Amino acid sequence: MSEYKSVQISAGSGGWGGPLTVTPTDDKPIIACITGGGIHPVAQRIADLTGGEAFDAFKSTVKFDRMACAVIDCGGTARVGVYPMKGVPTIDVHPTSPAGPLAMHIKETIFVSGVKPDNVEEA
Amino acid sequence: MGGGGVRYDCEVTAIGEMADEFFAAGIVVLFGQGVPEELADFAVVHRPSVTDGGLQPGDRIHLGATEVVTVLAVGEVADENLVNLGHLSLKRNGESEAALPGDVCCDEGPIPELRVGDRIRIVAAS
Repeated sequence: MSEYKSVQISAGSGGWGGPLTVTPTDDKPIIACITGGGIHPVAQRIADLTGGEAFDAFKSTVKFDRMACAVIDCGGTARVGVYPMKGVPTIDVHPTSPAGPLAMHIKETIFVSGVKPDNVEEA
Repeated sequence: MGGGGVRYDCEVTAIGEMADEFFAAGIVVLFGQGVPEELADFAVVHRPSVTDGGLQPGDRIHLGATEVVTVLAVGEVADENLVNLGHLSLKRNGESEAALPGDVCCDEGPIPELRVGDRIRIVAAS
């Protein structure tokens, strides 16, 4: 059994939604980073504070039911809706508000945006 | 980049099951290969041959062989998404300002029925 800690993630400047509390578990240990270009600093900080595993989802496959949360850099249409639709707490580093065909899935209880590393705190 | 230059060129390799719902809303979502499966479900997945980027209003996007759309507005992260991930959110909404940072707004009109093997090219205004 691994020991995981919780973090609270708040919306940054101009952001929307949250705050979210994220706690990895043995079933959902992955801090999925869906930003391209490696592990985003926000994902790294969540992993460092929780003990979860930061994972670049563009490099290899991770099932969404293994994700403790998803860190995205979505400009507002696609990634912003898919992970909330799948029930994965979603952290957008861009200050995006719900929009697009998947907007109905984006709720403040599962989505937070405009997040910078400073907006991730120990819970 | 000089006038008429090709900013992006690619061949469609897969079309997600839910992509039609986006087409009906006037939206095409592109992603490069290697995109996680849950995103591929509603995306047009492609293999690029040119990824220079530099998207600007006035550029023309060729969707397959017949449909050409004109770019009206480019969100602030749209070009970065395109070059890094092959990701583009094309919206035929006629808007002259991008409401969302990832948006590429284009003139209004239908989204053609894209097929595997089609080319999508973005060409700078001459």
